[in-house]
Amino acid sequence: MTHEPEIQILPQKHRSIFFWILVVIFLIALPSLIFYTTGYRLSFENQETSIVTTGGMYITTDNLEVDVYLDEEPVERPRLFRSAYYIQNIAAGQHRIVVQSPGYRTWAKVLPVDSRVVTEASAFNVPEIAQLRPITLYETATGTAVYFSNTIIDKIFSQASSTEAFHYSTSTATTTLQVNSEFLFVESLFGTTSTSTQSVFSRLLEEVGKFGFATTTPKETASSTEVVEKTIRGDMELLDEDGELYARWLGSTASIPYYFCITNSSLASTSYRYGEHVAAAIEAAQQSTSTPLLVDNNRVCRTQVKLNRLRQDVFYYDFFPNSSDLVLMKLQNGIYVTEIDDRAWQNTQLLYPGVDMQIIVENGVIYIQDGEHYFQIATEIETN
Amino acid sequence: MHSLMQTKKASQEHLLPYAQRSDFKVARANELTGKDRRFFRFLEIVPGVAAWTTIIGIVLASIYAPFIAAYFIIAFSIYWVLKTIFLSYHVRYNWKRLKHHMELDWGAMVQRFSYDKYYHLVIFPFYKEPIEVLEQTIEGMLAAKYDAQKIILVFAAEARAGTEAEAVARSLEKKYGASFGHFLVTIHPDDIVGEIAGKGSNVHWALHQVRQQVIDAYNIPYKNILTSVFDIDTVIYPDYFNCLIWFFMTVENPYKSCFQPVPLFTNNLWEASALSRVMAMSSTFWQMIMQERPEKAATFSSHSVSFQALYEIGYGQANVVSEDSRIFWNLMIANNGDFQVVSMSYPIAMDATTASTFWGTIANIYRQHRRWTYGVENWCYIVYHFTKNKAIPLRKRWSVALLQGEGYWSLVTNPIMLFILGWAPIFLGTREFHETVLSYELPIMVRNLLIVAMFGLVVSAVISLSLTPPRPDGHSRFRYIVMMLQWIMVPMTMIVFSAIPGLDAQTRLMFGRYMGFWVTPKARIK
Repeated sequence: MTHEPEIQILPQKHRSIFFWILVVIFLIALPSLIFYTTGYRLSFENQETSIVTTGGMYITTDNLEVDVYLDEEPVERPRLFRSAYYIQNIAAGQHRIVVQSPGYRTWAKVLPVDSRVVTEASAFNVPEIAQLRPITLYETATGTAVYFSNTIIDKIFSQASSTEAFHYSTSTATTTLQVNSEFLFVESLFGTTSTSTQSVFSRLLEEVGKFGFATTTPKETASSTEVVEKTIRGDMELLDEDGELYARWLGSTASIPYYFCITNSSLASTSYRYGEHVAAAIEAAQQSTSTPLLVDNNRVCRTQVKLNRLRQDVFYYDFFPNSSDLVLMKLQNGIYVTEIDDRAWQNTQLLYPGVDMQIIVENGVIYIQDGEHYFQIATEIETN
Repeated sequence: MHSLMQTKKASQEHLLPYAQRSDFKVARANELTGKDRRFFRFLEIVPGVAAWTTIIGIVLASIYAPFIAAYFIIAFSIYWVLKTIFLSYHVRYNWKRLKHHMELDWGAMVQRFSYDKYYHLVIFPFYKEPIEVLEQTIEGMLAAKYDAQKIILVFAAEARAGTEAEAVARSLEKKYGASFGHFLVTIHPDDIVGEIAGKGSNVHWALHQVRQQVIDAYNIPYKNILTSVFDIDTVIYPDYFNCLIWFFMTVENPYKSCFQPVPLFTNNLWEASALSRVMAMSSTFWQMIMQERPEKAATFSSHSVSFQALYEIGYGQANVVSEDSRIFWNLMIANNGDFQVVSMSYPIAMDATTASTFWGTIANIYRQHRRWTYGVENWCYIVYHFTKNKAIPLRKRWSVALLQGEGYWSLVTNPIMLFILGWAPIFLGTREFHETVLSYELPIMVRNLLIVAMFGLVVSAVISLSLTPPRPDGHSRFRYIVMMLQWIMVPMTMIVFSAIPGLDAQTRLMFGRYMGFWVTPKARIK
């Protein structure tokens, strides 16, 4: 018969051994993980083991379903957050990052990565084929847009896609239809805010006798005598000056967006890392009194970036809805979206092609008037 | 009018020398004077200051020294993983021992001892608990594989609970009195100066009464009585008293030992919510860990000790909230450090904290854990007396003070540091920090380490299922799946029901806003 339990209390010796094993693991793991998290990696290249330092890239996207490529290699999905990619273990140097998605225009940039530092960028992709939501005067009882002329298909939807089904009526009778209040609203928008279809250059030459921009968005006029007009969102300002379009940072140095700043290095190095135009801009800013260069420890920051207008006249500009990093421009041959970030180059993507149309952004929605038709431009492809 | 003076009239000669000190049963700084008062007050402030300094320190470090904060967080996350492994090792080992002990025939094992002379004095303090709770407790006693005539059963009612509580006790006495050697109902007066209302003062009174009315009346030697103070919802397993006798007879110094079973909060486990179950099982696991770490253990909730030992210290304190642990520290300090907790690794069943509503359950669990974590008052007590009682070996004084202090500090700070402040440098750090690989790798590293630590929860889930009572009729098998998945709530429960109530309790003590005893409602949810 058993006189005492076969399992005794956990022996102190076992506990001590276990404890000290864990202490040893801690002492090994702590420096290892600190080195790892600061960017150090073991390299086994060329049959030699060495310790190398790496950097990273942090790419935010406005589209959840994108493919990301680093130096032509697909990046697995190391998402930190839903719409952000953190790419680890990147060797120091210039790297090409590409963000693309089927049906969308491709965003690409070549950016420098430094050891133990993460390079940030914000990608955007607009649909390759413009996505339009028809807004008609009449709609069916179920809310379907109604057109009375099939020229719409040839004129508009030959180069764009409708986000919603619409109805083509051979009859002009409207008794079974209902008036679309949104149409009246949009019509009033375009009615009260006249947008110019005239070339900026020619209009300004006619009206003021010098270069400038025509715009329909509410602007803050710096002074009654200046032609310079501004659009502000948060601490970011868009302004046209001397025939060019600029984004200017008005806030503090501490909160300045990363793309205004670069590592403080020689102009030659800057030119290699970020492009000649950035080096030139830095050099100009060093001489400027109106938009001086901000020196913030190891980096220098411009407060103004020139936007790429594709050598075309700008008829309209505003911030892209819900963004202060992207700019919407109506150029001669269509509506474009461009990024303020000019490192390497500015990605500029065609949102809607066309010449004879007007655009208004109201409450974060992009409306266009193309001929006699009104549409909302969708920035994503609707999936049904 | 009762008063402490009346009870103090009794000779104190039976008390151990250190227990005769006027400050032996100090509960709060305001009971002392002069330098002692200031020192005790300082000790009351220390835990709260330590906790708040840690939390605020990490926030400030995240703002002004984010790199250092990040390194600290990495170190702490590794420490947490290893601590989880270390504790899981203890839980798993104790689980094996517990299952083994539950399979043993303790009745046969104690036959080699002559234990007929020993009595089990069992005290059940209660307040307004419903009679079905009390009856389930008595049924458990009757089901014990032990001679009930050797059991002195005391139902300790509170006068402040009204005549109904006494009537309930009397009805039980009438119904079950003859089944036990002695059955005593005591009524704890509500006007004794110097006490705080609660379980401790009730038990204190009951011990006085049972000594006068039963033990002395029947000339039972104090050394022949094993006293078990059980919460009213305690349902013993059948071999509890045999197991207790076995340990009592086999430990090196039974009169210098407390005997601690493993509380399984399983009486109402099938009726309780997932939240209640997680909290109940977490408490059980903590006690299982303590069973294998006697150097860190103190008595908790239901436990047993010789009446002689209690008599030598005057039955412990009637003026503290955490009386279940304080009794051990009273005994340890009065015996100059020569007192131990013997882990029985044998279960007793108790109630998981519940209420009839979800929010009621949350409130009850919070209050119960705040009361438990107010056990930090014991740290002030032991450090105070460690500076007074130099007969306790210096090494023991330091190790106990540091171990207990670390326990209360980590209880409050670790969950907050791990699940909230671990992310602080990312949100609060400087721009220079945000541009570094470290800033981006930190959350990934902390997340991965926490995932590794979460494997400890798998161990918890498996062990908890093995300790769950058989599924009663009317409960779906699906509940087993819920019982496995419920463990994902642990990060939340650690913050809401450990760290925050602990911080609450320590902050109250820090500001001298002393807590009273909150009676955990016991009920049976139909």
